Amino acid sequence: MRDKMKLKIGVHGLTSCYGCQLKMASIKELLEVVERFDIEYWYMASSKGEIKHVDVAFVEGSVSTAEDEKELKKIRENADILVAIGSCAIHGGVQGMLIGEEYKEIFEEIYGKYEMDFEGRIGEPIKNYVDVDYFLPGCPPEEEEVVYYLACFALGSYPEEKDYPVCSECRRNGYPCILIEKGEMCLGPLTVAGCNARCPSHNVACIGCRGPLPYNIAWFDSLAKTFKEKGFSKEDVRKRMEIFGKQYEKMDEMIEKVFEDEGGETDQE
Amino acid sequence: MRYVKLTEEKLYDFLEKLKEYGKLYAPVKISDKFYDRKEIENVEDIAFEYVRTIMPAKKFFVPPKEKMFDIDIENGEYKENVENVEPFVLFGMHACEIVALRILDAIYMDEFADIYYASRRKAGIIIGLSCLPDEHCFCNLRRTDFVDIGFDLFLHELPDGYLIRVGSPKGHKIVDENPSLFTQVTQKDIDAFREFEEKRQKMFRCYGSFDNIRYLLELTMNDEFWDEEADKCLGCGNCTMTCPTCRCYDVQDIPSIDGKEAIRIRFWDSCQFRSHGLVAGGHNFRPTKKDRFLNRYVCKNSYFYPLGTSYCVGCGNCTYFCPAGIDFLGNLLKVRSVGEAEVKNG
Repeated sequence: MRDKMKLKIGVHGLTSCYGCQLKMASIKELLEVVERFDIEYWYMASSKGEIKHVDVAFVEGSVSTAEDEKELKKIRENADILVAIGSCAIHGGVQGMLIGEEYKEIFEEIYGKYEMDFEGRIGEPIKNYVDVDYFLPGCPPEEEEVVYYLACFALGSYPEEKDYPVCSECRRNGYPCILIEKGEMCLGPLTVAGCNARCPSHNVACIGCRGPLPYNIAWFDSLAKTFKEKGFSKEDVRKRMEIFGKQYEKMDEMIEKVFEDEGGETDQE
Repeated sequence: MRYVKLTEEKLYDFLEKLKEYGKLYAPVKISDKFYDRKEIENVEDIAFEYVRTIMPAKKFFVPPKEKMFDIDIENGEYKENVENVEPFVLFGMHACEIVALRILDAIYMDEFADIYYASRRKAGIIIGLSCLPDEHCFCNLRRTDFVDIGFDLFLHELPDGYLIRVGSPKGHKIVDENPSLFTQVTQKDIDAFREFEEKRQKMFRCYGSFDNIRYLLELTMNDEFWDEEADKCLGCGNCTMTCPTCRCYDVQDIPSIDGKEAIRIRFWDSCQFRSHGLVAGGHNFRPTKKDRFLNRYVCKNSYFYPLGTSYCVGCGNCTYFCPAGIDFLGNLLKVRSVGEAEVKNG
């Protein structure tokens, strides 16, 4: 009886570090996951799988090659629910920072003249190519978040997505606010919570690895203004914010606006 | 009211003694700028000079995150997770913090008492401490700068010790059981107490009344300056998390991986977050940042009838802990439309 009710899942990696899958593979409750779900595809765990119909597909990585796009579309066609997992799949990841630049030029700068047998692109979030049902942010996501998503799907329910910032967890834990106290560029206010404010707990400013908040509530402009008042230049601010936020809609514009507003400071580069 | 004196030399003996009445929590310096109330091992670690703590005292009664239920999914049952709370002592509570707890009491322990809150509140001993305001304090405008109830003992600083007001049976018990710690209050002490109070009253940023502020707020919501202030806001929620009376929480059920059980947790929420105003069907009562920004101003300035005060106790935490430097009091003064200097002289 129970077996018939087992959910079929697939875990897929496009271009990425495979860290999200590694996190999934190392959760303490892995044996329960194997018991409770039929894993149809998980290349990291077994090369035997093939892409076929699943109830839930988890996709990590950004679309950075023509092959990625093809594979992603096949995954989508075969999945009832598709979950984008991690910063690469959701926002394009660090490799997505170069969006707007010429791939060929970047490639040559790093690797020199060298022919690859695939068509490369600047990494993009998977939502640019297919419909995504749920987002599981993180770099990688926390173990308890992975378990929570799996457990909700298994119950026939759905996971609640977080739409509040790292600051909420920083305050709940009573850590000193780095932005106020040290005046460093902490990205906690625009970064989606879930890490339990891990970096601030070590007195390190948030770098925004979990990605900007969803639903257009990542206020790059307000935070850029705060940084500007602390004496940071447009370049300082942009360089920090674009690591994980470059492909957030209007990030550049929002920063630009703040530095345009008061006095004709121009970009030095 | 009963008054006794604690001399400077007996201060640490007194604090040590408090540990016999429960686990002792008091403000300590946690970083360059911030203080928080922590469990005290060595009473000499206690910071007396603190103005505000990064976590308000509500954390002892409404923890930032707690488990409410253990849920047995297979049998459709649940159990409330009410623990037996051991007595504890909160030392160094300022007047505004004590009023804030009374506001929470009225909310959490009305007709349908919140058992989690109530069990902790009963176990808590409150030891007040006098304070001097900084530029963010405006308890005088909220009439929360001096408390007559809500504490067990209240210590008023004197040049050579403390004048103590005894405010409850628990407070009497502590005094009665430790006669060697206390002495009689002398005329000199009374004069010093009076001087301290006079000095303190002259130190506030501004004076006057805020009784009409809620209505002025409602009437000025379309003023342009609110757009500018809301634009500055990072939506981080620091203001509500550090507010001693903000009490909104979110509730979430977390199933176990085997699907047999679940837990229900609750944790501090904030009206500055998008999902706070989100309801079934996708409607949001506060869809824009400005809506959320203004919500806090209106909520805090609403009149709280059971106590005859507003929900805001004038502690200044929301300004002090705002990374964007938004000045709550400054904005209220703009609404009142009177320059600060003018108010000070008036």
